[in-house]
This record gives sequence, structure tokens and C-alpha cells, in this order.
Amino acid sequence: MAANPQDAGAWLDRVLGAAAALLLLVLMLLTAADVVSRYIFNWPLRGAFEITELLLLTLIFAGLPLASRAGEHVTLDFIDRALTPGGRRLLRRLIDLLCGAIILGLAWRVWVKADKIAAYGDTTEVLRLPVSPFVYAMALMVAITGLVHLAKVIFPGQDERAEPVFDPDKIGPT
Amino acid sequence: MTEALVGLGLMLVLALLRVPIALAMGVMGFVGVAYLRDWNFAPAMAMVETKIYETGRNYTLSVVPLFILMGNLVTRAGMSQELFRAAYTFVGHLRGGLAMATVVACAGFGAICGSSIATAATMAKVAYPAMKGLGYSDRLSTGAIAGGGTLGILIPPSTLMVIYGVLTETNIGKLFAAGILPGIVATFLLCLAVQWTVLVDPASGPRGERSSWGERWRALKGVWAVLALFVVVMGGIYGGVFTATEGAGMGAFGALMFALARGTLSWRTLFDGLIESARTSAMLFAILTGALMFAEFVNYTTMPGDLKNLVTSLDLSPIMVVAAICAIYVILGTAMEELSMILLTVPIFFPLVVHLGFDPIWFGILIVVVVEIGLISPPVGMNLFVMNALLPHVPTRVLFRGVLPFMVADIVRLAILIAFPTISLWLPSLMR
Repeated sequence: MAANPQDAGAWLDRVLGAAAALLLLVLMLLTAADVVSRYIFNWPLRGAFEITELLLLTLIFAGLPLASRAGEHVTLDFIDRALTPGGRRLLRRLIDLLCGAIILGLAWRVWVKADKIAAYGDTTEVLRLPVSPFVYAMALMVAITGLVHLAKVIFPGQDERAEPVFDPDKIGPT
Repeated sequence: MTEALVGLGLMLVLALLRVPIALAMGVMGFVGVAYLRDWNFAPAMAMVETKIYETGRNYTLSVVPLFILMGNLVTRAGMSQELFRAAYTFVGHLRGGLAMATVVACAGFGAICGSSIATAATMAKVAYPAMKGLGYSDRLSTGAIAGGGTLGILIPPSTLMVIYGVLTETNIGKLFAAGILPGIVATFLLCLAVQWTVLVDPASGPRGERSSWGERWRALKGVWAVLALFVVVMGGIYGGVFTATEGAGMGAFGALMFALARGTLSWRTLFDGLIESARTSAMLFAILTGALMFAEFVNYTTMPGDLKNLVTSLDLSPIMVVAAICAIYVILGTAMEELSMILLTVPIFFPLVVHLGFDPIWFGILIVVVVEIGLISPPVGMNLFVMNALLPHVPTRVLFRGVLPFMVADIVRLAILIAFPTISLWLPSLMR
């Protein structure tokens, strides 16, 4: 890890961002190629289903630390109006501490799950890909997400504006 | 019942303290399941492991990032200008014509984009300057953009329908089909709201120029790509040629080709679009996982049964129950962020509605409509925030007043859709 925590965060954004972007691009191309190949050439791609599943899993969990870094998780913000800026900062830090602790606990459970899967030697049906490395990667990403929240306790970063700044170019889920 | 209510209360307390909703629901699901097993944590931990793993490794859910990517790409491709232009040639010469063109163009954009916020934001950049130029009042123009923008989640594809479908295990393709006719009804009613506004204040929306049929034809040719994308994706899903997941992949790929062909996409914007879609998807998956954990707890309690008994004992007519639920949503939607509202309440209301014998697809459409109302209802409506961010010179007071006729139109539509379920259910009933 780089010496400066801000640099480490920016580095994380770049590396995971590039990974997530690439995975999503491949996921899209694979899905489209599968449909085209099946209907036009009558030749379904072998194991496309399994690769899609594993791509999705990796993509989502690589995106998780990014979502936490960007502070994008859905929260209710009624309480912000009742607090002073100082109180808000304190509450955010406490909540990030709590989130970090819980998420690290989750990472531990996912790691245990990965151990179980590794012990069974689970593989995918068609391509016989081992599943456990992907689940270990999941656990690792969840752990990084937890660390991102803990890092926010010490280095609160930019998301402490009094009013949430709304970026209209973002595609929200609604 | 008591334990579920306590769990719900504690979860709300956590959420109100600004714990992300995903974690608040997950934690209460975990604690709740442990409590129900006399504080034996082993099954609760197993539940957590399984839910995280199963949500992550789920082929059907790849529909989520792919449709979000499609929306991100079409927004960046910038089709809004052509859509607005085409709608203008047909209705621009009428009183309030530009505002109606905005609504129709929003409907068109909604047919390739699953997000209301994105639809409103994209349209605002094109339609507001045009309306301003013709002397439209800010009230009417911002109201039409905010109101029209909500069509983004009703007309398929729709991210919200995907979330509802996943939460309730309802067929996403059928939900999409169900959104089409209500979308047309909605477009019509929003145009009526425009007419109402110009009837009261004729100066707010003067007439534009009449276009010749030649111009109309040329303008329509400018939007063929939007139509093609919609027909391939929705037609493919509707006709059973491919699943919703495959349709999402084709849609995202088509949107990419389309943006590349128009030359509006740089590597940078493509990269940003991909990352943003990945982040939004991760956020949604976190919430889905949390909601599924919480639902696991609620379903083990007596609450679902108790609620059903309560409704039976009160001898309410089923349709009144649904109307009451919708009324609760409309009221909650004024103050609450809509996605959290749906995620927190659907696990509780959904079993009840199904028990009363209603179609989950129909209820899904009602949910989308109440969210649309919430998006434009002051003081907390996301589409109003979009307007505020893009057009900071328009006072909030003007925004709030301008959107009122469109809210009324939406509430009328909600009543129509409750009274006539066929509007929602006819198209999906024809699917295989």
C-alpha cells in the first residue's frame, strides 16, 4: 500500500475501476455474442452461462469498494437536518466505524464459505472451472470494502458536505 | 408479529442513524434469524453466507448491470435532440406544444432508458432551452420535464421493475410488457396536464411553428435508431426470442454500437459509463442482499400470517387494501427517497397483496407509478433535485408549483390503473 492514504484510495479506485469496467464490457459482449451465435449460427457458446455467472460475481464485488469509496450506498438522511455540522461529522465517523466492523465480519463469513467450497472442490458444470478462487476473491473484496469504511473514520474525505451535491449526469436506479 | 415489528423498528432506527439501508436490513435479518432460533447464531451465519453467495452468483441478475449500462450509454450517445425534434414537428404548433413534445420525447427516451432521473436530466438539456426560447414559463417547462422524465421507469426497460422482479421473483419480461400500455396512458394524461396549465394561463405556453409532412417524415427518420433499439430489445423479450438478461446484453451492445456510430463516445466516456454502471450495480446488489436477508427473518415470523388475518378480520374489500397501500406510498413518497421506501416495504406488503388474490405484475406496475409520483412530489423528489441542479436559477417555489398539475395527472393515472387492471395485464397475458 502506498504511504499516503489518499494516494492509496485513488490507486484503489483506478485499479478496481479498470477491472470492473473490463469485466462489464466482457459480460456485455459475451451475452450479445451468445444470443447472436445461437440464433444466427444456431451454435450456442459452450459454458457462456457459467462464465456469465462468474463474471457477474467478480464484477459486482469489485464494484463494492468503489461504491463505498464514492459514498453511493442508499441511506436515509433525515437526521442530517437535525444535527450541527460537527455532530454530522461525528455521526458519520461512528457509523463508518460500525459499518467497517460489520463488513469485516461479513468478509470473514464469506472466507469461511470459500473454505467450504474449496474443501468440496466445487467446479462449474460444463467447463469444470474451480469455483473457490472466485469466492476467495469475493471475501477479499468485501474485506477491502470494510477497510474503506474504516479508512473513512480516520480520513473522512470529500463526502462531508452539508448538503448532498446532486450530480444529474449519474444514472440512479430510479 | 411482535418480534417482526420490533425488528422492523430497530432496522428503521439504524437506517435513520444513516447506516446504509443494505446493512441495516442485513444486520436485522441476521439478528432476527438468530433470535428466532433462541440466539443460536450458527443458522443465522449460514443464512448470511448463503444469501451473499447466491445473490452474487446468479445468472438472472446479470440483467441489472447490463440494463444500467444500456441507460448510461444511450444517455451519453445523446439521442434526446432528435427525439425532441421529431415530437416537436407533430405537436409543436399546438398551444403548449413544446411542453407536450417534451413529454412525448421523454416517453421515447424512456423506451431505451430505464431511469427517470437520467431521462429528466437528458431532456432538460434539450427541451428547456427550446421552451425558454419560445417564451414558455419556467413553471410549465420544468414541470413538463420533471413529470415527463418519470416515464423513464414506467416504459420498459426499467431498472425499478428489475429490482421489483428480483425481490418478489416476478417475471421481469412480463413486468416490462405490462409497462407499455400504462406508459401510453401516462403520456396522454401528462399532455392533458400541459393543456390544463395553458388553459389557466395561455401565456405560459405559446404555439410554435407548424411543420410540413415532409419535415415530419425527415424528423422521424432521425429517430429510427431509438425505435430499432426498442423493437429489438423489447420485441425480442416479448416475443420470447430471448430472456430479459439476453435482451439487456443486446440492448447494451446496440447502445454501444449506436453511440460509436454517432461519434459521441470517447474512450474516456465509455470507461466512465462502464465504471459508473459497475458501481451502481454493486450498490443495488448490496441492497438486494440485505433485503433478502431481512425478508428471510420476516417470513419466519408470524407477521405475514397475522397481517392476512388482520385484513380478513377487518372485512375490508381487497381493492380497498390495495388503494390504502398506494395511498400510504404516495404520502411516504413526498418525504422519503423512493428506492428505500420500496425496498423497506415490499417484503411486508407483497405477500399480503398476493394473498388477496392480486396479480404480482399488476402490483409491480402500481409500485412503479407510486414511485413516479414520489419522484416529482415536493419536498423530496429526485426529479425536482435534477431540475434544481441543472437549472439553479429557477426558484424552488416555481418548481414545486409547476409540477402540481403533473402530480394530479399521475394520481388520476394511479386510480385508473387500480380500477382497470386489464390495462397493465393484457399485454403480458399474451406472452408465452
